[in-house]
Amino acid sequence: MPDTDRTAVATSGIALLGLASIGAAHVATWAGRRWRPPVVQARLPAPLGRAAAIRAARRLNRAAGVLAASVLAATAGAHYRGSFQHRAMFTPLVTASLSLAVSAHGTADRRPSAHRGRDGVYVLAALTGVVGTGFHLYNVASRQGGLSWQNLFYAAPLGAPAALSLSGALGFLAERVRDTAAGEQPMVAGLPLGRVVAGVTSAGLMGTVAEAGLLHFRGAFNSPAMYVPIALPPVAAALLGNAALGASGRRRRWVRLSLRLTTIMGFVGAAFHVRGVARQMGGWRNWRQNVLNGPPIPAPPSFTGLAMAGLAALGLLEDHPDD
Amino acid sequence: MSSNPSSDPLAAPRATGGRAPDVFKVGGWVPMRQFDEDEPVDFVVVGTGAGGGPLIAGLAEGGFSVVGMDAGPWFRPLEEFASDETEQNKLYWTDERVVDGANPMVMGGKNSGKAVGGSTVHFAMVSLRFRPEWFKSRTTLGYGADWPLDWREMWDYYGRAERALSISGPISYPWGPKRPRYPYRSHELNGAAELLGRGAEAMGYRWTPTPLATVSAPHGHSHPCVYRGFCRFGCSTNAKQSQLVTFIPRALKAGAEIRDLAMVGRIEVGADGRATGVHYMRDGKWRFQRARNVVVSGYAIETPRLLLASATDRHPDGLANSSGLVGKNLMTQSNQAVFGTMDNEVRWNKGPPSLSITEHWNYDDAKDFHGGYCWMAQGPMPIEWVTIQTGSRGLWGQRLRDEMEKYNHSVGLKMVGEMLPDERNRVTLHDDTDQYGLRVARVTYGWSDNDKALIQHALGQMQTSLEAVGARDVFRQENDTNHLGGTARMGFDRQTSVVDADCRSWDIPNLWVCDGSVFPTVGGVNPHLTITAIAMRTADRIRAMAADGTLNHPRRAA
Repeated sequence: MPDTDRTAVATSGIALLGLASIGAAHVATWAGRRWRPPVVQARLPAPLGRAAAIRAARRLNRAAGVLAASVLAATAGAHYRGSFQHRAMFTPLVTASLSLAVSAHGTADRRPSAHRGRDGVYVLAALTGVVGTGFHLYNVASRQGGLSWQNLFYAAPLGAPAALSLSGALGFLAERVRDTAAGEQPMVAGLPLGRVVAGVTSAGLMGTVAEAGLLHFRGAFNSPAMYVPIALPPVAAALLGNAALGASGRRRRWVRLSLRLTTIMGFVGAAFHVRGVARQMGGWRNWRQNVLNGPPIPAPPSFTGLAMAGLAALGLLEDHPDD
Repeated sequence: MSSNPSSDPLAAPRATGGRAPDVFKVGGWVPMRQFDEDEPVDFVVVGTGAGGGPLIAGLAEGGFSVVGMDAGPWFRPLEEFASDETEQNKLYWTDERVVDGANPMVMGGKNSGKAVGGSTVHFAMVSLRFRPEWFKSRTTLGYGADWPLDWREMWDYYGRAERALSISGPISYPWGPKRPRYPYRSHELNGAAELLGRGAEAMGYRWTPTPLATVSAPHGHSHPCVYRGFCRFGCSTNAKQSQLVTFIPRALKAGAEIRDLAMVGRIEVGADGRATGVHYMRDGKWRFQRARNVVVSGYAIETPRLLLASATDRHPDGLANSSGLVGKNLMTQSNQAVFGTMDNEVRWNKGPPSLSITEHWNYDDAKDFHGGYCWMAQGPMPIEWVTIQTGSRGLWGQRLRDEMEKYNHSVGLKMVGEMLPDERNRVTLHDDTDQYGLRVARVTYGWSDNDKALIQHALGQMQTSLEAVGARDVFRQENDTNHLGGTARMGFDRQTSVVDADCRSWDIPNLWVCDGSVFPTVGGVNPHLTITAIAMRTADRIRAMAADGTLNHPRRAA
């Protein structure tokens, strides 16, 4: 099939899937209970039990860790490829490593209150992502042609540092969940925590979709499998976003299914990237060059990390209704 | 070299015994149908380059029996294209030719190929469309000759050619009518390409990454480009979408036979005035392949040479030559350059050499000469760079050595310019003979005042661009030319052209010419994509004519 046709089919496919999923979610909502635009009218969520809070927090720590691991490995490869030309290019390696370490710590930690060290690292990771986005934006803008497709394809990837921010944000939220372990209502900045995590995750998924879409477009969608990460996660993001705004306290099978599929897709995507490296000249025999120039193997699992956070958020929404 | 004859592509034909080399697998083979020489095949196509390749594939896919012949060997890209400029001279047509005229052409790597796949095996992959007005340059722009093809139809075939060759190009192209998106994204720019962009912007001109026939991501069995820079040579990764890795494999799959090391010396014409087949030398013997149609796709020197050499009593001036135009109106393209040195490192040899382009002067008619030109970023390999230093600057000894040490700081811009058709520029037969015992081509060429004016304009513009980015020690390479065209031009009638819009000769209804020879004008862009588009169109036209019964009996006004 010609590429233009494929793009058209894929685009309409995504649109249809997105619409269908939102539609299905709404039908399910109507069938279940009366629809109310909930956030504005949200009451305080039901108090979390200590065990439930710790469980949810650890799940979020784990999600933040998976995301940090993906960022760490992908950044290490990409910044090594860029010869660490700027000293600041080491920074995300340090902060992503720290984020990974404290996430592991948090995942193992069963204590009921936030950890100051973890909080500090997560905030630092989030800030690194923001600053990194600035650096990457500068790199794109300073190239000949400025903010052009050419530079979006080949200059520093604009969306990549945001993944580190997301890791930090999810970890920070994990700490907030953990802080409610004493039977309080899970709230952050005046909003129910489950909804916040779901919203952040949904937005993060869409940002990651944009990044994958851009780079897969650069690769001319040379394999049909390259459409999956721009087809499936938007469905999950839409359903999760809908859940973040919708009624809480009820089972959402489709959201869970789409998030679980996205979790798996992240790992399968890494396997596809392993195959993509094999398709470079010299394949894996020339791994030292091709791992750097082929599709980044550690990148797809960032979808996994986000989907895991989405599942944690879904658990909070389901188990602790606020309406 | 082992004693296995198939290990040396030049020693003996490889495409024999029902198989041909698999260009995608080291040591691999693919099955190939073979035809009997005594049974006439529907088509014999002489030449397997940008014209012959798509035609052979298109005809075979249309159900015709087709034999393609190429004088050159069948190379295995993954094994036989070393990163060595000298070694790769094997890809060029370096057989003897006589050149003369006011500006004798340098024949070889810049304008010929001798291999299955033709010169597309070593071309620089630049894949540009003509400006639409050029198809009617006489009527709309007041010079040259009109083509019998409509630009809108060509626009469609350009799109098909771009898809078939998986061209990597920019998201939007700054000049000309809208075109569909290129199948692959443009390549990352190197330092030299960015400097072209900076210079163009300083001059207020648009520029863009160049559409190239080398894939920027995997495609089928082709690996993506590794930016090795050996692009005007054989591509050892198969990223280059030459005929050898695109249409030739398609042709084999569709049942065509390709004969390598098969030099066609004469087209036979029967008593009924129709071509009956070709005499060709293979494995040291002259042979004859019978055919219902003969297509000549040997490019602007070998095509007229073969037509002229096939003269008979009934066609004393050569075949398809009642107009007297076979061999005439030879055109080349001006390929002058300006070079300089940057303070910062450029490393211009990284990646394809022509990564960025400005076609500004192809689309701006505010100039006091006819024709257009573009210029592209440059990245000559070291030996080519030495040749430019010794040839254009006369450097030698210590000065040459010092200059070569600046290689990684060098930068350059090179034009592809339109030269106008002139009947005095022509290909004739010389009495010298080549290794096959065939009379060699005599190539006579001189630049017109218009050509010289265009070149000077371009040199000035390119120099301005280089100086705008801070290049020092700027110098001009004034003597270079490259692609060819003309010598069997297509046209509207038998008096003023050799072939019609379908590439069929006016004189002999089953004799066709399909390559750059049919160009009435060459335009200011590299010709490869236009040749490919014409060949794809010709294949379609032949299939349509076979369907409506006009293939053997053309309907033509007397």
